[in-house]
Amino acid sequence: MTAAALARTTGAELRRAAGEARGAWSPAAWVAAVALAIGLLVPFLGLGLRMDALASTVYLAVAATGLGLTVGAAGLPSLGAGAFVAIGAFTSALLMARAGWPLEPAALCGALAALAAGLISGGVVRLRPAFVAVSTWLLAWLVWLFLFAFPSVSGGSQGLIVPERTLLGLSATPTVHYEAALVLLVLSLLAIAAVRRGAFGLELSALRQHPPLATSLGVPLARRRLGAFAASAAIAGLAGGLSVQLAAVADPAAYDPFLSFKLLVAVLLGGAAATLGPAVGVAALGLIGLVSDPLARLLQLPLERFDTAVAAFLLLFVLALGGDGIIPWLSPWLPRFRRTRPPVTPRQGGRSGTRAALKVEGLTKAFGGVVALDGLSLELAPGETAALVGPNGSGKTTALRLISGAMQPDGGRVLFGGRDLTEAPTRERVRLGVARTLQTTSAFTELTALEEPVARAAALNALALVGLEQQADVPIPELTSSQRRLVGLASALATEPHVLLVDEPAAGVGAEELEPLARVLAEIGRQGVAVLLVEHNLRLVRMAAERMIVLAAGEVVAEGTVAEVGESELVRQAYLGAQRL
Amino acid sequence: MTIALQVLISGLAAGGVYGLFAAGHSLIYRLTGIVNFAFGDLVGLGIFATLLVLAGTSPVTQAGAHEPRFLLALVVGLACCVGASAATYFGLVQPYLGRGSTIGWVAGTVAVAFAIRAAIGAVFQRSSYVFPDPLPFHRVGRAGFVGIGGAQVQARAFFVIGLALALALGSAWLLERTRFGRALRAVADDGEGARIVGVPVDLFVGLAFGLVGALAMLAAIAAAPGEAVSSNTGTLLGLKGLVAALAVRFGPPLYAFVAGLVLGVVEAAIANVHLGGWQLGPAYREVLPLLFVLLFISVWPSREALEERE
Repeated sequence: MTAAALARTTGAELRRAAGEARGAWSPAAWVAAVALAIGLLVPFLGLGLRMDALASTVYLAVAATGLGLTVGAAGLPSLGAGAFVAIGAFTSALLMARAGWPLEPAALCGALAALAAGLISGGVVRLRPAFVAVSTWLLAWLVWLFLFAFPSVSGGSQGLIVPERTLLGLSATPTVHYEAALVLLVLSLLAIAAVRRGAFGLELSALRQHPPLATSLGVPLARRRLGAFAASAAIAGLAGGLSVQLAAVADPAAYDPFLSFKLLVAVLLGGAAATLGPAVGVAALGLIGLVSDPLARLLQLPLERFDTAVAAFLLLFVLALGGDGIIPWLSPWLPRFRRTRPPVTPRQGGRSGTRAALKVEGLTKAFGGVVALDGLSLELAPGETAALVGPNGSGKTTALRLISGAMQPDGGRVLFGGRDLTEAPTRERVRLGVARTLQTTSAFTELTALEEPVARAAALNALALVGLEQQADVPIPELTSSQRRLVGLASALATEPHVLLVDEPAAGVGAEELEPLARVLAEIGRQGVAVLLVEHNLRLVRMAAERMIVLAAGEVVAEGTVAEVGESELVRQAYLGAQRL
Repeated sequence: MTIALQVLISGLAAGGVYGLFAAGHSLIYRLTGIVNFAFGDLVGLGIFATLLVLAGTSPVTQAGAHEPRFLLALVVGLACCVGASAATYFGLVQPYLGRGSTIGWVAGTVAVAFAIRAAIGAVFQRSSYVFPDPLPFHRVGRAGFVGIGGAQVQARAFFVIGLALALALGSAWLLERTRFGRALRAVADDGEGARIVGVPVDLFVGLAFGLVGALAMLAAIAAAPGEAVSSNTGTLLGLKGLVAALAVRFGPPLYAFVAGLVLGVVEAAIANVHLGGWQLGPAYREVLPLLFVLLFISVWPSREALEERE
């Protein structure tokens, strides 16, 4: 997703959230508003607080809130948030100190530099979590080692002296910084809350919970994660770019990898699952600092060492307690914003445009020396239901993966409506109308049935089609396993496919549930969707399919109507065993 | 030519140590699917425990070690490193593996890394220390330097290279030829399968955590008297190991070891080699390989490194 597109969606989400907030103005909203007002008034209450320390803590909370999007929403274990703060801070400091820029544009450039760094290093979000953690950790070290190796950029051990500036027309005193940081914090909290509840957030959540299932539904994994990662980087860069002027000096020592770790600790301490969690985590770290700093002085230990140890032990403590963090622990007692779901009206009719046929020509796939599929050719007419059957290892699932784009064939072509899809990624196939279900029952355990089909307008239609419209707001874990299986089917249907590839829907289904399942499949067929059913269970095949293709050892050995193939004694003995149709 | 030889030998000596860290990182990744971010600091813990027994927290001179005392110190240091490594596995890694929680082991091992660094820094408050030398390298050649083809090379470098190679090949033999090694390879192949056929998976993986720590620590201590040590020493060695392991995308441990050797030579070359009037210089020594490996993994990941699509 480009930055412009992200900004556009964010704007739309903000407007929607504002509208919703008006509709859902509740005691919780009053509590939040009063807390904000008190926060803004703190400098004028004469409490004798050190405003510079307070302001830099709030800036840290802004960066942590941004990191919450990467760690909490996208589930990426980023150990490099501090690198983006440092990039923002030194870009901004250099522009102010060397080029004499004012604070606001310098800080914005800091945010842009961090965004650019996030986009460049963001290739790693495609990787497994362990690799994401390693790469971001190396990034944190890279930036820090760079600052030390090149004193011409960083000012060396002295740091860069940042001149005095104005902020929004006022002389940038710690109090002005504090107010600005607080407003920035509230804005970023609202923006991230809105994004997390919108379609983007749901897709991120689906990717976090079950990457294969989400990508099979056409969610673009790399783009969504990159969006979250780069947005976090930009927010961290902005916080760094502003806070460096408050500190009056850009000191490389203040941006060591410990900063990245501290931000991660804040996110986990407050609770990654909640938008407010990271900010609460920073506040908690600050409060603990009020106790631990005097203790360190008492024990005559170096303060920065002690801070590190305190943060490390706090994190180990949180992990030992299950790793949820403060907000989730408190949530039973917290006032709640009324969660309203965005109104979804069922749409009439499915996807427009002409229905197209799926054609597969000579698909071949080998794993090492084992030929899984040897020149499979088949055609699926619009609205037709065909079954692909065969013994274990005959290549059924491989065929499904090749057609859906989860795997690339060694040879052959996949054509849909005359277009060659052989090279197209999954999300492109889903967009054009070729969707599939996975063999697993739905695994998005944190969503409701309506949310699982990734918040499409078609979601309710799809749920109605499988007969689950009454369960739209039920959390997935509370559904029965056969209902969950149907939700998985609905997820694929919500992409409004022309062709639906169904992978063993009867696996683990009791005999009495076969008939309802067959009815659902038949209803899907009546809606004009062509269904390719990969199935072991011949009872279901007989009830649901019109045509049957028998695979054995990667080759088609029989093809015809269910009755014809069922009557072929040869096929029955060789491939269907003793089972009678 | 002279400088090339100097770069090669000093680079291989540094790289041998990096290599053992890299091989340790990759073995652990292949066994468990996790990366032990505390690896370097756990070794640092062993180094400083050795130093504590040898010389207390006072600054020491290079020739201040007596052999029996040194052996005792080394045993204590190894015990600390192995014990803490195994404890990290049983306390912070293994509980999260079952749950499939990435953030748990990532945060847990990083927390251990920072906690160890803080503890070392609290006890050893100077910015750096000289590690006493049990072997009389200063008597070899001219004050420990020998001339080869016009180049002046630390005699210790040959010892470090030899030791690192011996440890790497020895552990390769262990993995290839012993029952313990076969069991580890079975775990790396299919942990659940190995458990079913009766391999005590948790015990063996815990042992492997300790073993890679001990190997890396031996190499690091062999090299330690060559330069000043500080609480960052272990951290940075662990980091170099990660860079090398990532360069081979956590491939087989022996590949990772070779990548470590290459990293050492590349670093030495970046710091020392002039091409005509143009030289990168020491400032680029650590930054460039890191940047290169990061871009490499970001642009060109292996299939295994990609988030599984299905």
